[in-house]
Amino acid sequence: MAFNPLEQRGIPVEEQFRSWSELSVEPLDKLGDPYTRCRVILMNGIEVESILFAHQFARATDDLDIRRALALGRRIDQQQRAVVNNLNPGDQSPLETTIGYEQVAVDLTAWLARNEPDPALKQALDFALLEDFDHLYRYANLYELIDGRDAAELTDSLTEIMPGRPTVVEHRHPYDDVRPHYDTHTVDPLSRLHVMTIVAAEQQTMNYYLNHSAELVEPVARDLYVEISHIEEQHVTHYESLIDPLDSWFEQLVFHKYDEVYLYWSMLQQEADPRLKRIWELHLEMEIGQLHVACDLLRRYQGVEPEEILPPELPEVPLTFETNKEYVRSVLAEQVDLRADGTGYRPLDELPDDHRYFAFQGIVNEGGTPSEAVVDEIRVVDGRDFRDEVEGPHPVAGLRA
Amino acid sequence: MTILVPTKATGATAKTAEMTYVEPAQQVTDDELAAALPDAGLDMAFVADFLSAALTHERCGRHLYRSVAARTNNPVLKRRYEELGQETERHAEILEDLIAGMGGNPSYVSPAARGVEGADTKLVESTSLLGGSLDVTTREMVMLQAVFLAESLDHAHWQTIAELADHLPDGDLKDRWARAVGEVGPEEDEHLEWARETMGKMVMLQAASGTMAAVGAKAEELVETVRGWFS
Ligand SMILES: [Fe+2]
Ligand SMILES: [Fe+2]
Ligand SMILES: [Fe+2]
Ligand SMILES: [Fe+2]
Ligand SMILES: [Fe+2]
Repeated sequence: MAFNPLEQRGIPVEEQFRSWSELSVEPLDKLGDPYTRCRVILMNGIEVESILFAHQFARATDDLDIRRALALGRRIDQQQRAVVNNLNPGDQSPLETTIGYEQVAVDLTAWLARNEPDPALKQALDFALLEDFDHLYRYANLYELIDGRDAAELTDSLTEIMPGRPTVVEHRHPYDDVRPHYDTHTVDPLSRLHVMTIVAAEQQTMNYYLNHSAELVEPVARDLYVEISHIEEQHVTHYESLIDPLDSWFEQLVFHKYDEVYLYWSMLQQEADPRLKRIWELHLEMEIGQLHVACDLLRRYQGVEPEEILPPELPEVPLTFETNKEYVRSVLAEQVDLRADGTGYRPLDELPDDHRYFAFQGIVNEGGTPSEAVVDEIRVVDGRDFRDEVEGPHPVAGLRA
Repeated sequence: MTILVPTKATGATAKTAEMTYVEPAQQVTDDELAAALPDAGLDMAFVADFLSAALTHERCGRHLYRSVAARTNNPVLKRRYEELGQETERHAEILEDLIAGMGGNPSYVSPAARGVEGADTKLVESTSLLGGSLDVTTREMVMLQAVFLAESLDHAHWQTIAELADHLPDGDLKDRWARAVGEVGPEEDEHLEWARETMGKMVMLQAASGTMAAVGAKAEELVETVRGWFS
């Protein structure tokens, strides 16, 4: 079904403001559909990115009309974000939300990689996938250690929980996080959406971990959040460097709005909960209205017609949260020993001894590493680590229990 | 509306560079670029890159004219921007035909073209992003200044295309280049001269009329003043 948002009217932006009572939403059941939680987490991150981008843009102009258009769009995004984020239930602890974040990271990244047409971008996704996959395992062990609970109740075993590329080895020199970018003229429209989406998701995760680490009591928990937040910073650097800086402010605004349209449309296609469906549908209509504003700005201030830079229709396949167990296992088996080297990647045994990777590892891991400590502690308590290996033993012999 | 931006759908290609990655099916190399063009005794990969830059500038110029024609408050300027915009679109077509006629891809975007697009993007942004600190008359000046700067590069590109044409061996290729230069060259002389002259006139109008003295003048009054220019 071809869907071209440019041909839809959507809701005009001036009609999009909602009252406090309309913004007051009933939260989800924390043990409900894990992929509904994933959709909520992703769309919150998307709104955050949209707002932060519009703030950056506003700081680059003093034109009253442009600033007002951006201010209006941001306020609406803030309302959308409030609705989306407050779907998270109050009885869901930050650690439980965190497990949701890493389930998003795994199943979003894996789905994007499976559907990514560009091999270099697929490689970038596969590379970080194994790192977020390991974070899920570390946080699940923390969950059992401090709360005595089973993370599979939250993930519903849709995502396996076992070691990925161990977090301890993920720490690399910042220079090795920077990748070459796609070319804005040759890039597949789907690839552009994929990259923008994963940047927003990782950025939100980076902020969430460091904002919440200080609220935790147990030292091992605080330290684990600090450690993993640094990998998320690596991931933001890694993914944002894939974006071509040639796009103008107005083009970037259009692409941001287009991504929001694509994602709310995607969420709507797969949501089973009728109440959530209504939210996704409303937000889709709102985003179409906001996209029109961005297109008008592009047309007026840059002389570019939106049809010149946007595809004739949304991608046929909605971005989908679904289980990716087999895919993750195959990437694990092939790439667990991959390391970043300059703007590319290399197997660990091909890195020269004097590579800055080893020097950096020596600095940060010198006094012990929280992601190792949490698993060591649980092994002392329970005689085993926590795993949810649904599809059999770990595909990497060295990482088996 | 003419689609002027190369995309994957229109067959865009590019070269990889230190920090630019291009999907394999869209990648081209210098050897491929040179092989696509006839051997004309010049570095044809370089020529392909240069023509891509010149074409990109005409395309960005068309966008600039669309934008300033829609935003100017002066009917004389508006008409002129529309005319120049149409001629600029025609120049883009001529370059596309020239490139395609030689066996090249008009949707190839060279590194030099990226440089030009980067400059042109900032140029058109300069006419709007600082709008809040400029009054109505100054905004007109900034738009015209962008046109002048764009036409300066445009003019230089076509002069260079004419010089390159001189170096081509006699034959069909040289003839085609010469025809393109013959058609576009005089228009570029005219575009640049018009922009230069009109900038001068705009300055003189204001210097002589004391519009500037009326710093507190209401925006509507300034719009009226601008509307009356050149009539
Ligand atoms: Fe939004
Ligand atoms: Fe992560
Ligand atoms: Fe991550
Ligand atoms: Fe021209
Ligand atoms: Fe010109």
